[in-house]
Amino acid sequence: MVRFKHRYLLCEVVSDDSRCRLSLDDRVLVGLVRDTIARVHGTFGAAACSVGFAVRYLNAYTGIVLLRCRKEFYQLLWSALPFITYLENKGHRYPCFFNTLHVGGTIRTCQKFLIQYNRRQLLILLQKCTDEGEREAIQKAVTRSSLLEEEESAEEELSDSAGEATEATE
Amino acid sequence: MTATYERVVYKNPSEHHYMKVCLEFQEHSTGLTAAQFKQLLVLALKDLFGEVGAALPLDVLTYEEKSLSAILRIGSSGLAKLWSSLTLLGSYKGKKCAFRVIQVSPFLLALSGNSRELVLD
Repeated sequence: MVRFKHRYLLCEVVSDDSRCRLSLDDRVLVGLVRDTIARVHGTFGAAACSVGFAVRYLNAYTGIVLLRCRKEFYQLLWSALPFITYLENKGHRYPCFFNTLHVGGTIRTCQKFLIQYNRRQLLILLQKCTDEGEREAIQKAVTRSSLLEEEESAEEELSDSAGEATEATE
Repeated sequence: MTATYERVVYKNPSEHHYMKVCLEFQEHSTGLTAAQFKQLLVLALKDLFGEVGAALPLDVLTYEEKSLSAILRIGSSGLAKLWSSLTLLGSYKGKKCAFRVIQVSPFLLALSGNSRELVLD
């Protein structure tokens, strides 16, 4: 009833340079986003978005970032993301851009989306793959993930039916 | 026999709001051209609301260099942003200044008469 509501923005850092993603750092990202919002939305935007702002998840290998923002001001943050054009680390500038994949109200929904998204990306990778060794590795990953998917859906059905049974007994 | 009545209501929120403002400097001798005045306004918006604020459709309809007063026009959605950035503007090129907002109205005609300055005999 009386709690602060947040929006979680799931973004992907896309860059030509392979070193760009590896140089993704928590503090670098926070500073960069804050500066960009200050440039695009001024003092008001910087203050509004900084209150509940946090980087909740960061994956340097895939370039996936999860940003948190207060619900009232998430659009200021979302509209400022396309203005980020480079990542600066130790004096090196890597041009990149932020691709927003999903906006969710909780970390759990973003995680669910990310799992589905990764599955689809694996299949796309499989199609585009040229190297035989890579193809085998991706094939294994795809079969593993589809097995996990079946397990997950079975678990959900079980927990649903268990929930229904408990509701019926109550 | 009952007559049927038809009531037609037009909801036309005015697209623009008009503000009559006056700029006061601490040193009263400072002068500004019309272009410098507009730059000052855009700078104030940019400071508080960034690039997005600076890009608001703002027009200076009239400007008097002697009294540093002007009539501004802004899209209705940007009125709160403009007014708050005028309030928070403190200085221009190192000189302290302040904006006095004399009148605000969604209709330009209303700015021709100010009931506050009306003198009743």
